[in-house]
Amino acid sequence: MASVSELYDVTWEEMRDKLRKWRDENYRNSEQIVDVGEELLNEHASKLGDDIWIIYEQVMIAALDCSRDDLAVSCLQELKRQFPGSHRVKRLAGMRLEALERYEDATKLYDSILQDDPTNTAARKRKMAMLKAQGKSPEAIRDLNEYLEQFVGDQEAWHELSELYINEHDYAKAAFCLEELMMTNPHNHLYCEQYAEVKYTQGGLDNLELSRKYFAQALKLNNRNMRALFGFYMSASHIAASPKVSAKVKKDNVRYAAWAASQINRAYQSIIRKCDRL
Amino acid sequence: MASSFWKALVLVGLLALAHAAFSAAQHRSYMRLTEKENETLPIDIVLQTLLAFIVTCYGIVHIAGEFKDMDASAELKNKTFDTLRNRPSFYLFNHRGRVLSHSPDQASFIPCARALPANPVRLRKLEPLHH
Repeated sequence: MASVSELYDVTWEEMRDKLRKWRDENYRNSEQIVDVGEELLNEHASKLGDDIWIIYEQVMIAALDCSRDDLAVSCLQELKRQFPGSHRVKRLAGMRLEALERYEDATKLYDSILQDDPTNTAARKRKMAMLKAQGKSPEAIRDLNEYLEQFVGDQEAWHELSELYINEHDYAKAAFCLEELMMTNPHNHLYCEQYAEVKYTQGGLDNLELSRKYFAQALKLNNRNMRALFGFYMSASHIAASPKVSAKVKKDNVRYAAWAASQINRAYQSIIRKCDRL
Repeated sequence: MASSFWKALVLVGLLALAHAAFSAAQHRSYMRLTEKENETLPIDIVLQTLLAFIVTCYGIVHIAGEFKDMDASAELKNKTFDTLRNRPSFYLFNHRGRVLSHSPDQASFIPCARALPANPVRLRKLEPLHH
């Protein structure tokens, strides 16, 4: 099978930079990471310098996603050899056990990390992820709430908790978690949009009005967010169609919905024109 | 423009600045020797200092790389939920990827499932598949 560098005609520096980009921006394209990373590690290991250890970690996690246990074990062995007794490497060993569904062994490993270092957040988060993987959502939610009482600023955990609540259809609490995220990231249009979606799902006139306002806020922050535009249109149309609103509110919302519809049409027209020109 | 040109420009600017500083120091010591303390710095040294400063600034701006917008939300405009909803600390591994592995000859650790044949479609761009 042709190597990645031959197939796409890239140099090893470009492969290394791509891996860094995927690492920094949380891409989960595991098959590509495994292909690129495996070739980089087999052919160009000596040129990578100290970057090699973090690439081992990245490739190992991607290998677990693609069920490439052989690659995961070899990466883990290299890391164990270089960093014996490291908690971070132990956590990776625990993740491999989780991928093999040996949840009790993984729990024992994480507990040993927490005995050594009670403040280790990574091991605590993996234990909660295991509860989620085994389908024990209520326990996961309870543990995550306790965790967030201690570590209030952990945004990843707030986002995870909001997703757990959404899965349990507890939209009020999910909205609360997203409010926390919006407070700490006021310029992030995606949190605004997700909050608006949760409010829209909750339903009821007040929630629909709130969702329309937050969709508008998301559009203000990023006027190219199509999902927020559609959400604005849907919430405005629903308010206008509701029988309990006054005539003035109805007229306003019809106007908003018409504006949103024209914006959507314009966006699609420009894409069609661009495609026609190709 | 090649970055070596701008680097050379910055070097020339810095050297000119150093030269002007050295000239000014020399002028000062000359003033002290000839006891004519009331003479101001000659205009060509002043001009050289200002010009060298402007040239250095201009060159550095070109070396510095891409400017980012002042707007805090600008760099988020290109982000989508594809990347934002991934929380690395909470990744789960009990998904379909375990069965859809792309090497059919490896021994699967799920005894009942058989690994599907290798992914036939290869995209020609080194970009994530869902972009």
